[in-house]
Amino acid sequence: MNTFAKFAAALCATSLFAAPAFAQDAGPGETLGATTPVELSGDVLLAKTVSDASGVERIELVEPDLIVPGDRLVFGTMYKNSSAEAVTNFTVTNPLPEAVRLAPDADAELVVSVDGAKTWGILANLTIVSANGAERSAIHADVTHVRWTLDAIAPGESGRLEYQAIIR
Amino acid sequence: MKYAQSLIQLGATALTVSVAGVSSAALAEGVDAGSLIENTATATYDGGAGSVTVDSNTVTVRVDELLDVTTTSLDAGPISAAPGEVVLTFEVTNTGNGPEAFELTANPTVPGNEFETVIESIAVDTNENGVYDEGVDEILTGPETTSSLAADDAITVFVIATVPSGVADGDQSQVQLTAAAQTGTGTPGTVFAGAGVGGADAVVGTTAATASATGSLAVGITTVDLTKSATIADPFGGDSAVPGAVVTFTIVAEVAGSGSVDDLVVADAIPTDTTYVAGTLALGGASLTDAAGDDAGQASNASGISVDLGTVSGGTSQTITFDVTIN
Repeated sequence: MNTFAKFAAALCATSLFAAPAFAQDAGPGETLGATTPVELSGDVLLAKTVSDASGVERIELVEPDLIVPGDRLVFGTMYKNSSAEAVTNFTVTNPLPEAVRLAPDADAELVVSVDGAKTWGILANLTIVSANGAERSAIHADVTHVRWTLDAIAPGESGRLEYQAIIR
Repeated sequence: MKYAQSLIQLGATALTVSVAGVSSAALAEGVDAGSLIENTATATYDGGAGSVTVDSNTVTVRVDELLDVTTTSLDAGPISAAPGEVVLTFEVTNTGNGPEAFELTANPTVPGNEFETVIESIAVDTNENGVYDEGVDEILTGPETTSSLAADDAITVFVIATVPSGVADGDQSQVQLTAAAQTGTGTPGTVFAGAGVGGADAVVGTTAATASATGSLAVGITTVDLTKSATIADPFGGDSAVPGAVVTFTIVAEVAGSGSVDDLVVADAIPTDTTYVAGTLALGGASLTDAAGDDAGQASNASGISVDLGTVSGGTSQTITFDVTIN
């Protein structure tokens, strides 16, 4: 249950797009023992809509044993600071696989890129310029990368970042 | 398993607001079956030794094969048919995301039919000109199955049927063509393990991997009735058939039925012992010249009269008149 509690805390933090409210004792420049104090672990799950006997639909996250166009995948990245020191300016960048598009109900505050990680912003502020010079608002299907930024990760802290995408 | 269990609980909680956004609807332009989806995240941060970059492991999933198909009739409306051969045209489209062959079935028994055709064969439009070319377009042999169609590819299919004799003008009939994925059909979501591209699973999409369309035909039997009559005007104001009397012949060509006739030519010889009166040929009361080629009619004493009515629709009649004198 301890693990679950941590996940919940991390998800809450990421969905609010705010840094965890931990006190920071260690600052940049302090010596850290581990060579890779932060480890990332990726996973993917299928968000499957199932109906119970009364016809009520709900969503289960299952292993993606069978996936077809139109299905929703949840890409997750676990992070854990296994060192005894805090790390700062923690930024996780995730290129979207070409075969998926960002889910249309993605967090509007999620920082994304629609030009291959050259420029970043929330989707509402981004535009696409076509070959003939015409400009249009960027849409979820244009997103090439997503990015999360955490001010700091305390020693021993772990969390999970995730985005949802639809198979094109 | 505790780890996975935790994720499932967590995800289920977090996702409850997004049910409306989830759709299992197949996109015809979907990612090809067998495609790999690979995801890697990269983190950068400031640690003790300065900026550090670290990659996550890469997670990879393979897109499975979706079985979907649509069938449509390419005929603009009911095909005009008469007893004998008739060709109906359909299009079968692989709306799945992998190569798939489809078994075709033509069914002449459709509710509401006023008569039933006999299915002769099913052919594919080998030369892709949209028209059935006997001897060119491949006739499928049972079980009639298309070649493997790439995702999103469409194929034109002809159903060749025979309209039986004894049908009445205006009778209608429909022929249903069904295309079914060779891998299998079933309720959406049915899985055929390992039957997809490259050993991936194949799963039935929203179309149930089978689709039907009907083409219709309407019998258009058109008949032409010719009625010839004569009136005589003798030189003495009477109607006796005496030398010098003028005989006016009237030919009524009556076209009946729901269709039309093409190249209808009405011809008549000048009776023996009479002479055609030059310049008297008329169609519907309007004079035609005796010369050939300048209008629909031509006439001469030796060859008789001839009027080319062209294409005449059912339900119309045309009246031709000409005069002769009795020698």
